[in-house]
Amino acid sequence: MQRWFARTPSADSKARAELRIGIPKALGLWSTHQFWVGFFTALGIEPRRIVFSSDTSEEQARQYGKGRVTVDCCYPVKCISGHYGELLVREKHRKIDVLFSPMIYSLPSFLKGHALDTLACPRVMAAPENIKAGFLREKDAFAEHGVRYAAPFVSLGDPKLVPKQLHEGLQGVIPALTLAETRNAAREGYAALEAFNARAARRSREVLARCAREDRPCLMVLARPYHMDPGIGHEIEMDLQAHGYPVLWAQHFPTDPDLLEWMFGDDIRRGFIRSPHDISDVWPSSYSANTNEILWGAKAAARMPWIACVIRLASYECGMDQPSYTPVQQIVERSGTLFFSFQDLDSTKPAASMKIRVETIAYYLQKHWRDIIERKKAASAPGCPLRKIAPPAGPAGGPGFRA
Amino acid sequence: MKIVGLDAGSTTVKAVVMEGGRRLWRDYQRHNTRQAELVLDFLTRMEAECGLAPERDLIFFTGSGSGGFAPLVGGKFIQEVVAVAAAVERHHPEVHFVSEIGGEDMKTVFFTPAGAGTGKQVYMQSACSGGTGAFIEKTARKLGVPLEDLARMKYRDLSLHKISSKCGIFAEVDANTLVKAGVPVEEIIASLYEAVVYQNLAQLTKGNTPLPGVLLLGGPNLFFEGLQEAWQHHLGRLWAERSVALPHGTDPERLIHVSGDALYFACLGCAEIGEKEDPRVARYRGSERLRWWIEEGQHEQKAREGAKALLASEEERGSFMKKYGRPDGRAVVPPGARTARAATGAKGAETAFLACDFGSTTAKAVVVSPQGELLFSCYVMSKGNPIEDAKAVLRQVRAAGFERVAALAITGYGKDLLKDVVGADVAIVETVAHAAGALHFFPDADVICDVGGCDVKIMLLRQGTVSDFRLNSQCSSGNGAFLQGVAERYDIPLEHYAERAFRATRMPTLAMGCGVFLQSDIVNQQRKGWTAEEIMASLAAVLPLNVWVYAGQLQNLAAVGRKFVLQGGTHRNLAVVKAQVDFITGKVPGAEVVVHPCPGEAGAIGAALCAAEWWRGGGATRFLGFEQVEALAYESVTNEHTTCRWCAVNCRRTFIDVRLPGAKGRPWSKVPLAEGRERVISGNSCPKGLLEDANEMRGVKARLEESKRVFPNIAEMVREDAFRRLEGEG
Repeated sequence: MQRWFARTPSADSKARAELRIGIPKALGLWSTHQFWVGFFTALGIEPRRIVFSSDTSEEQARQYGKGRVTVDCCYPVKCISGHYGELLVREKHRKIDVLFSPMIYSLPSFLKGHALDTLACPRVMAAPENIKAGFLREKDAFAEHGVRYAAPFVSLGDPKLVPKQLHEGLQGVIPALTLAETRNAAREGYAALEAFNARAARRSREVLARCAREDRPCLMVLARPYHMDPGIGHEIEMDLQAHGYPVLWAQHFPTDPDLLEWMFGDDIRRGFIRSPHDISDVWPSSYSANTNEILWGAKAAARMPWIACVIRLASYECGMDQPSYTPVQQIVERSGTLFFSFQDLDSTKPAASMKIRVETIAYYLQKHWRDIIERKKAASAPGCPLRKIAPPAGPAGGPGFRA
Repeated sequence: MKIVGLDAGSTTVKAVVMEGGRRLWRDYQRHNTRQAELVLDFLTRMEAECGLAPERDLIFFTGSGSGGFAPLVGGKFIQEVVAVAAAVERHHPEVHFVSEIGGEDMKTVFFTPAGAGTGKQVYMQSACSGGTGAFIEKTARKLGVPLEDLARMKYRDLSLHKISSKCGIFAEVDANTLVKAGVPVEEIIASLYEAVVYQNLAQLTKGNTPLPGVLLLGGPNLFFEGLQEAWQHHLGRLWAERSVALPHGTDPERLIHVSGDALYFACLGCAEIGEKEDPRVARYRGSERLRWWIEEGQHEQKAREGAKALLASEEERGSFMKKYGRPDGRAVVPPGARTARAATGAKGAETAFLACDFGSTTAKAVVVSPQGELLFSCYVMSKGNPIEDAKAVLRQVRAAGFERVAALAITGYGKDLLKDVVGADVAIVETVAHAAGALHFFPDADVICDVGGCDVKIMLLRQGTVSDFRLNSQCSSGNGAFLQGVAERYDIPLEHYAERAFRATRMPTLAMGCGVFLQSDIVNQQRKGWTAEEIMASLAAVLPLNVWVYAGQLQNLAAVGRKFVLQGGTHRNLAVVKAQVDFITGKVPGAEVVVHPCPGEAGAIGAALCAAEWWRGGGATRFLGFEQVEALAYESVTNEHTTCRWCAVNCRRTFIDVRLPGAKGRPWSKVPLAEGRERVISGNSCPKGLLEDANEMRGVKARLEESKRVFPNIAEMVREDAFRRLEGEG
């Protein structure tokens, strides 16, 4: 501890505890959130000084991104201009010192080791470079606001590489940063992320267990994590939730061995796949973390009787999603599960047609869910662990179905 | 030697004649689509009024319409943005940003010092009316604002309202809504200016900051004071936000100039560039060939350019009519559907299913037999009071002799409003109704295309459900009202549309897309000598393109299926059917295209079939009965308490309180409603207005929160917890 203080240059940089770090809540952040919280907290940044931008919205783009947008056909990428702008113009006493926008090359994924790789979309990875340009074209808008811009390249899918990458990438940003503490902070980051993911998976399992017990339907969303951002995914799944259906997301599907054995055990024994996480039977070129998870999610949804309907979300002209449209649809539909996809999501939420679509889905779900559950149950292996084991007691006030 | 710079744009022709840096002549006129004639007129006058001489003087052309004229008179074409930039550099070297707004396009030019010269970055948009002069004028015309008044209308200090900046037709719809809500015209016009400036800044800056000095060019920027004020407001704010250094003590407004020559910059630029050009490339050869082109050439060109007509031969007509046509020129009705007249027997005793479709402009009703036969259909134009509409349409059903209704379905915009009041058994969303209506007749259908009067719906079917849905209710591209409008202009009844359109042996090619531009394109083609028949044929021919590609955004039709069902009243028009068949089979080899036996009633029939299904499942109808509906008593209230406060539009709503035994009433309301009464809200322009006020919203929100608690969403956990920063906080 004493060494740490002894090494801190005093006059030319703010002490870490006073640094305020702004992080655009966009793209890869939607699946690495807690990593960064854990990482920066471990480095001595005060938790309340780790600031995320707000959810994406049209107003945000209008107010903060106007005239900053660079050419990019990917809407979720374009939106970051608004996030950058919003973080830069915070009021005086809430000004950020660092705008931290990591270029995440690969992602942590529960399919790590089972797929060829867990890369991020290259366009998404490079987004910070692209968006930054809009703030540097004429004048350095970061310098103007006294903000240090940091966009380290980081392979979060490869924990061994991370400490060195972040240590180098944050030189001069975090005062007196050492490799050893970066290594420790990265470890803390992964632990925080894993803890969150475990909580989410547990919550998903509770939902499934209740559905199984009560023979009630739920929905599964197959989308990239950033579609959870209300400005990107347009809250479509929330509208369906309001019709009385719990909503699961593939990224947070429970991966407990008993459940996976029940769902995939037969396929393994018959030699179709090597492990429950193997997707080589449906998606041989499994390089993209998010795409892999969507494909795996399709398989999981197809095998889970109480998932009566799958909602696929994809943004306008997404080159990563397009090749997976047909396989995902076929995997889901062949199991007799309803499948609806909202493709080409863009800046405007076409409220009128969206309302009609949601009502349409609700109608067909209401009409068919009993048959779907019965059919899928008949096709699945006996001894569903969801029905055998009573769910762990949730915290008071937690989610639950009507008694 | 004189140099002519002539700018033939989308709505006007402008020209200057220069000699040794002196301006001898200039003029500007609207061409009302008679572009060539006006150019000829200008040339003739230049010759007479300032001695323009063939084989001596030079002539340079610019503008969207110029490409064709330049070679006819020996002139050279210069791209308009290049011309504008040249004039700005010469006459306003201090300028860093130029906006030129034209009738149907908009441009921005950024000038940045680069070494000894100036770097120029140019952006232009001409595919859509959003942000252009047409955008403003079209709406102003609709509002009945004369051009002279428009020029003087203000922007500053007026309340602004949200008007779609993207499309002229969307904007017109928004403006209509504002008018209905009683918003003053001045505020609507100011909002239009706001939308235009926003659109220019959003589309045509691409990461550059417009720096002072700023020069505003083009007709709209020159003529509309309010537009200038909007620019001043937005640029001033932008400069403050971005801390752009302004010369000490300068008011930002003084750095935004509107040139008195604003209309002539492209012309001046032509002359500017012309001075440095080799004189041989642009020698004026006189106006003879242009005159010839106007009198003969363009007609020859028309004959060459025209596309094949809807029907190439009598043979084609025969085979098409055999498959799709009826003697009366309407689409053929497959067996299984009967008309009301054909339905005989004791109707009163017959089990019948009734469906009502309450749309935004009409209310329809159909009666369907248990076998799915259409027994009766009728409609009324909506009078804005849903209760009266329901009474009117049910009165007709009763008059046709249907006494016993086994089940009642309700669909369309008004379904949730009237469900309880009339005692509907099922409320069916439009898509499901259309799908049920189509699948009953064509169980193997893949795609339903419903083209109505005011909207276009495309439904993709899989697993017997509507798996995807495209709705275009705001852009008129491809809808039936547009066809009707054109037919009316030619004084041709809609029933004769197809017959007339089929007479055409060739037809012009209209551009797909923006309805605003389509209108001017029609005028243009008409002027070239295309007849009503030929234009009507081409309008039918371009409809599928607008429906599938422009409105439906379906680039790859083959991927959506092979059996297409055409529904909606517009498909009664065989010219449209022929165009659809040609288009679809051209894109999807082996496609089967069928027209629904009752195109206009397909949705309502589908709803009735859903009612039948419900009835077969053991339902006992709660239909109030004809007499009771007729006897529905209500009081309607319209006052300051019923005005909608959800947004600045402040719609003047009407609360129609219907006496209905068992209804809960609304004791919490500002306009309290006693028990035994049901409230129907009308006069709102968006769905939000169906919620009475914050009290009701609180109730809805509480129910929603409760539902969210009971039915969790994992994304909500991510949104709420994943970005938390304090350990142990959850």
